[in-house]
Amino acid sequence: MAGFLLKRLLQAAFVVVVVTLIVAFAVRLTGDPALMIASGATEITEADLARIREGLGLNEPFLTQYLNTLSGLFTWDFGNSFIGGTPVARLIGSALPATLALAFCAMAVSILLSIPLGIWAAVHKGRGVDQLIRVVSLVGLSFPNFWLATMMVLLFSITLKWLPPSGMVGPASFIMPAATLGVILTATNVRLVRTSMLEVLNSQYIMVARAKGLPERTVLYKHALRNCAIPLITYMGLQFGGLLGGVVVVERVFNWPGMGSLAFDAVASRDYPVLQSVIMVLSTLIVLVNLLVDIAYGLVDPRIRTE
Amino acid sequence: MKTLTATALALILSAAAFAAPAAAEGKLTISSPQDPGGWDPIDTFLVNWASVATNVFEGLTYRGPDMELVPGLAEAWEELDEGKRIRFTLRQGVTFQNGEPFTAEAVKFTFDRLLGEEGGKGPQQSNYTSIAEVQVIDDKTVDFILKEPDPVLLTKLAGYGAMIVPPKYYAEVGDAEFGMKPIGTGPFKVTSYEPKVGVKLEANPDYWGGAPKLSELEYRFIPEPATAVAELQSGGVDLVIPPTIPIGMIPTIEADDNLEIVSTAGPTVAALRFNTRDGITKDPNVRKALIMAVDRETIVSSILAGQAETIGSFQGKDSFGYSADLQPLPYDPEGAQKLLADAGIQPGATVEINTRGNDSTFNEVAQAVAAYLSTVGIVATIKPYETNVLLNDIIPQGKTGAMFQQSWGGWTFDYDNTAYAMYHTGQKWNPYDSDPELDKLLEAQRPMTDKAEREKLLQDIAVYAADRALEMPLYNLNAIYAINKRVENFTPAPDSRLKLNEVTVK
Repeated sequence: MAGFLLKRLLQAAFVVVVVTLIVAFAVRLTGDPALMIASGATEITEADLARIREGLGLNEPFLTQYLNTLSGLFTWDFGNSFIGGTPVARLIGSALPATLALAFCAMAVSILLSIPLGIWAAVHKGRGVDQLIRVVSLVGLSFPNFWLATMMVLLFSITLKWLPPSGMVGPASFIMPAATLGVILTATNVRLVRTSMLEVLNSQYIMVARAKGLPERTVLYKHALRNCAIPLITYMGLQFGGLLGGVVVVERVFNWPGMGSLAFDAVASRDYPVLQSVIMVLSTLIVLVNLLVDIAYGLVDPRIRTE
Repeated sequence: MKTLTATALALILSAAAFAAPAAAEGKLTISSPQDPGGWDPIDTFLVNWASVATNVFEGLTYRGPDMELVPGLAEAWEELDEGKRIRFTLRQGVTFQNGEPFTAEAVKFTFDRLLGEEGGKGPQQSNYTSIAEVQVIDDKTVDFILKEPDPVLLTKLAGYGAMIVPPKYYAEVGDAEFGMKPIGTGPFKVTSYEPKVGVKLEANPDYWGGAPKLSELEYRFIPEPATAVAELQSGGVDLVIPPTIPIGMIPTIEADDNLEIVSTAGPTVAALRFNTRDGITKDPNVRKALIMAVDRETIVSSILAGQAETIGSFQGKDSFGYSADLQPLPYDPEGAQKLLADAGIQPGATVEINTRGNDSTFNEVAQAVAAYLSTVGIVATIKPYETNVLLNDIIPQGKTGAMFQQSWGGWTFDYDNTAYAMYHTGQKWNPYDSDPELDKLLEAQRPMTDKAEREKLLQDIAVYAADRALEMPLYNLNAIYAINKRVENFTPAPDSRLKLNEVTVK
């Protein structure tokens, strides 16, 4: 087990290093931040630019700059933003909780909807309810989330004036962004729950349980659901990781002060420290979530450990 | 029971959240498209810094929405030593928002900081390099010693890097903290700043110009135009400031009874500049033909919904150096065809137009331009670039097509700012052209202290550039504000430098 863990940890560290290295390298190909910072000046000389670069620490060798950023993971000191000089740790300190809270809410919406619906569809396989759920989830899957978000704003904020259209100003502002993300996740998860439930329901031990004369509820929730929960938890764990990196569009539409918005602005303004740190923190989190899933899998299924 | 209480609590909380934006008498909420990241005047050039900070900081001079330069923290000034020394008499009895008195020392400290090592790390220092030194003469008098006369300096003292900062407070809190908790002499004081979310200000009752009429200002940073407009429609914000509202959203706002569009000629001018070094646009007559082939009036009235004005040179009518005498070349497709034929350009000749990819309005304009060009037999393709790539690589390196977008505007509204950067040999924005005669004109106007003489020379430069058809001048775009009608006494500022002390809300 220890060997397995060590191997996975090393792999995870390797992924974080590679991702951040690529980002750090790629962002430096897209233009000089000193030029951007100076673009409001009437005239700018090469000496002015050099001075600004030095102020930003861009005269250091690439590897030094990269290692400085990487060390932030351990010291929580990511340097200062190029735009206005706010400490990056402070920006991430307020953006990360906002994104995590949103992702949790979205997952909650999705789990609360998809598990009952998926089971219901599986139990009534082939009948009207099943067809309906499958069609609706397919439609849900095809919605672009920005469209759904815009429509919700139009209805609930502009027409009905029930919900604030943007920002994170109270519990009410969670409703629309969480619903947008949640609905789209639900569409995938319903189908997943339905399929794995069907698989389990066809297995012999369910037949045995039913033959024993157990009530259908016990069969469904005690025997069937528990058995199909493992792949579901795994899948949703991975989904959560994906959600952290995938909320950019929804955050942007709802002006959510999270990691996605932060990354988006940082790309637009070539704010290296912010962009690199956001990517580093997010990729570390995603890799950690995946690692936990891997470990959980290994614990449950001994065959994986020996691979 | 427990869950019931929790649910009730959540409901009350969410009800409070709905109610919050609408309540509070005397509060104005503003949507700004960008967080400048800090409030230190020497760290930024962003317009959206100024749209907040004009309420917090003041300079020795002040220029309001009417574009007139009036006394600010200086009551009067005079030019001595042939423009190489400017003597300011300071306003007495002014205090900073923390109670620290405004003194001659504060003025000296401000400029020593700007022109010293600290200022060197930011973008503002290079705008004030004509200042050699600031000398304190007595308690209420300071002298600015200049390296050479700088006719735009008094205007520059009204904004950005020249904002007066409190030396004692700055020394107490240090550089980083000052950027987060700024103190100035202005009518509003920053109470809290949440990066990427917003900034809150409260009235400074001791403001020397009289206490402001609003008790509170809140700026929320909302980069996405559709989101900002949704907030405006739902009452979450009262005012959306430039550059947010795209032309396409104007009808949505005008259709709402509670809202209106207020606009004024802004600093931004748009042109398609030519590659004057290679290809068919090397020939000035071809360039003129391309200009004449495009109906700019129609572009302004249709695509831009009238929120712009056509221009004859690369400046708007508020710019120092503008002359109504210089009219744009007329729309004349036949004349254009003749010029093209005379220049030996065959129908089917191609040009590439480079635009900023995220500028949806301009991309529509570029498509219209391409359509007009096709009527005279020129095949134009549009190739958009990511804005920063275009600005910091493609243009300065001279890698553009025959025509490229330049949207430009300096807050000083002085044609020198544009013309020198666009036309002088070796400038970043001038990758293709070198004209010794134009260089000479551009250099000659810089030290001139005689206003009329300098204006004349700038007008001559505009005519010279138009004669050579260095760019296809398109239009001067309005600064567009969308506002809730409950806001009164609001004057749109052409340069987005909003001072909101006279504004009230119903």
